[in-house]
This record gives sequence, C-alpha cells and structure tokens, in this order.
Amino acid sequence: MFVVIVGGGRTGTQLASILILQKHQVHIIERRPDVLARIHRELPTEIIYEGNYSDPLVLEQAGVKNADVVAACTVNDADNLAVCFLARKRYNTPRTIARVNNPRNAWLFDEKFHVDVALNNAEIMARMIEEEMSMGDMITLLKLRRGDYSLVEEKVPPKARLIGMAIKDLALPEECVIAAIIRHGKVVVPRGITVFEAGDEVLAITSHDGAIQLMELFSPPNPV
Amino acid sequence: MKYIIVGCGRVGSELAYTLYTRGHTVAIIDHVASAFNNLHPDFRGRMIEGEALNKDVLLRAGIETADGLATVTNSDTLNSVVAHIGRTAYHIPRVVVRNYDPDWRPLHEIFEHQIVSSSSWGAQRIEEMLAHPDMHTIYSAGNGEVEIYQFIVSHKFDGQKLGDIIPNSNCSPVSLTRAGKAILPDCNTIVHENDIVLVSATLEGIQALRQQLI
Repeated sequence: MFVVIVGGGRTGTQLASILILQKHQVHIIERRPDVLARIHRELPTEIIYEGNYSDPLVLEQAGVKNADVVAACTVNDADNLAVCFLARKRYNTPRTIARVNNPRNAWLFDEKFHVDVALNNAEIMARMIEEEMSMGDMITLLKLRRGDYSLVEEKVPPKARLIGMAIKDLALPEECVIAAIIRHGKVVVPRGITVFEAGDEVLAITSHDGAIQLMELFSPPNPV
Repeated sequence: MKYIIVGCGRVGSELAYTLYTRGHTVAIIDHVASAFNNLHPDFRGRMIEGEALNKDVLLRAGIETADGLATVTNSDTLNSVVAHIGRTAYHIPRVVVRNYDPDWRPLHEIFEHQIVSSSSWGAQRIEEMLAHPDMHTIYSAGNGEVEIYQFIVSHKFDGQKLGDIIPNSNCSPVSLTRAGKAILPDCNTIVHENDIVLVSATLEGIQALRQQLI
C-alpha cells in the first residue's frame, strides 16, 4: 500500500517507521522547520516532503494522486479535517484516516469532512483501561475494526454456571458469538447443541456489552 | 439578523462592533478570554470563550438559528473548517471566511467558501498607489481577480482609437466620461486628452495596459 502521512510529529513519524518495516510505501509531509530537522534524523530523506499541505504542488510531489491512504496526523484537529476533505475532494483518495487530538472535536471526524476512520487516542486509551479493569480473567486477543468488537478468550472455571449448558440455551446477546472451543488441546467447532465442560477454552467475538454478559456465564451461580 | 463571529482579533472585534451598531444580534467566539478586550467598550453582544470546533460552544453561540457566520481567526484551516460546519451541518445561509495567509487560499477554494483575502488585496492596493498613482481601482470583484480601473487619457493618446490603447485580451472598456457626460465606448471610440476611461481587467490585462500607458 502507498500511504501519504501529513504531519511529522511523534505520531506521524512513528507511524511511518512502522509502515516502512511492514514494507509499505510511505511519504510524509511536514512544514515546520524544527520538526523537519528531527525527522530527517529518524526517517529516510527521500520519503520526506517539505511544505504546506494546502499547496497542491507539495501534495502532488508527495504523490497524493496515487495514494491508497492519506493519514492526517498533525496536532491540530482543524488541519487533520482539512487534509481529509482535500484528499477526497481534489484527489479522490480511496481511504482517509485522521487523528483526533481533542476528544471534544470527535463529532466532526466523519463524512462531513470525508474522514473514513477517526483515531481518538484518548477514547481508545480510556476504553482499554476500563476493559482491563472490568474483564477479570477474560483476555482480549484482538480488537476488530476500531475496537468496537473484540476476539476474547476465557477458560471455563470449575464452578461456572455454563457448565453442562448447550450454546443454544445460553441466551447470548446478539452482538456476541462463540467462535471456537478448545477442549483438551483440540478445536471443537461450536454448534447450538455443543455443551460446555469445565476447562474449555472459549473464544468469542463480541462487543463490549456482550463481553460483560458473557463474563456472567463464567462466574459461579448465585448462592440460593 | 443573528450573526456569529469566530475570532476576536482586529478583524473580528471590528466586525462585531459594526454589526452591533447596525442593530444586529452578535455572538463572538474566541478561545482566549483576554481577546474580548479588543472589543469596543460600547459593544453589547454575547462573548463566548471556547474552542470553535467544540459543538457545545457552537450551540451556545446559537449556530442552529444563525443568519450568518464569519470565521476571521488568524488560522486559515480553522476558518475553513468552522465555515464548512456552518454551511453543511447547520445550513447557515451566509458564511464568509477570512483568508489570512495567501498561501492557504487554495484550501478555501476546495471548500468553495466565500473568502476575503485582506492581505493580498491590501498588498495589491498599496503596490498600485505606490507605483501607478495615475491609475486606480474603482471596484474589485471577488478578491481582486477582476477589477475596474480608471485612467485619464494623456496628451500622448489624444485622437487615438480606444482599441489601440487598451490590450485586446483580459481587458474590456466599461465607460468613457468626457466633460461630465459618460458614454458606453467600444474599441473604435476616439479618445481625447483628459477623457476619463474605465476598463474592466484581470491582473494580466492591467499590467499590459500599464506598459502601454507609460
């Protein structure tokens, strides 16, 4: 993939380094002279483009016409919005990604400014911390999309209330699906009639709310 | 009418006071409280301290019912972005953007905003007054892309056709005034000394005309 990054601050530079390691083609645009001096030490010179992104010449030199993705990573939300709008409007960039600096500005990062994906650092952090605090033994293996859904894993403890129950009787919420069960080191493909046993490792794809309900099933039944 | 102004610097404070004295309701937003010190002491309007990208701030300023919005901060991107929100999310009928730095003008054009580029317009006027005092602008359309200029026919061109004086392209005649009476001239009109001629021209056109008149 060919990615044009606008903004060579810490986020932009880090993103560029990671993408280069993954063998993607990357160009980065920055206008502040002091920042340029720093990124020239961290990134290969030939991928750095100096100038103002509002200047069509600068953008076109950086190859924005052929970019698969434009990532707006500056520290200024207005700049990030303007970059996405410009990329789609003038160059029809297939995918735009923008960093949200101030969570209060997050409401603007959508089709209003042609932002396909908004990355809200503060919100992602807050959600992860909240989940880490509330999830107990459940382990998040993978975040899907922007973290709305996750692939989670939990081992069925000896007294869990779901032992002996079939999947079809669990009354799982709609946004939660059992993806696989690992029993004695073998994968069991879950069916409606599959019955849980103690020691099963359960993999599920679920929303945050679904995970909370699923967790309930792993706890011992309430004392009568 | 209800107007919102974003940015309480020189332009914003002046604009706020002008609108207020004409009897309009004005809300002015700035993220620095001390900026409101720029306002005229007689100004009566709402001053809202906060970031213009924050929805609560915009709602407090009354963006849902505003008749007009002017974004006049010294950040071109902020001006463009807030104006776009006003136009697309709140359908404000009149939105005007200040273009602060001429380098950022292409951005405003992408958003298709109505802009006022005071820096480039001012520089153009000053250059004209310094270098060509004999010729001056009567009216600027847009942000000076097309202007109506006035010049007085000198002795040198007395008796010539207007079409031989003004360039063929990027310049067209508007009026000719002789002894207080104006006519609609064409390229074949014969001019006399002291006739006042108005032409409408682009920057290229006016440069060619200046060369001609020297």
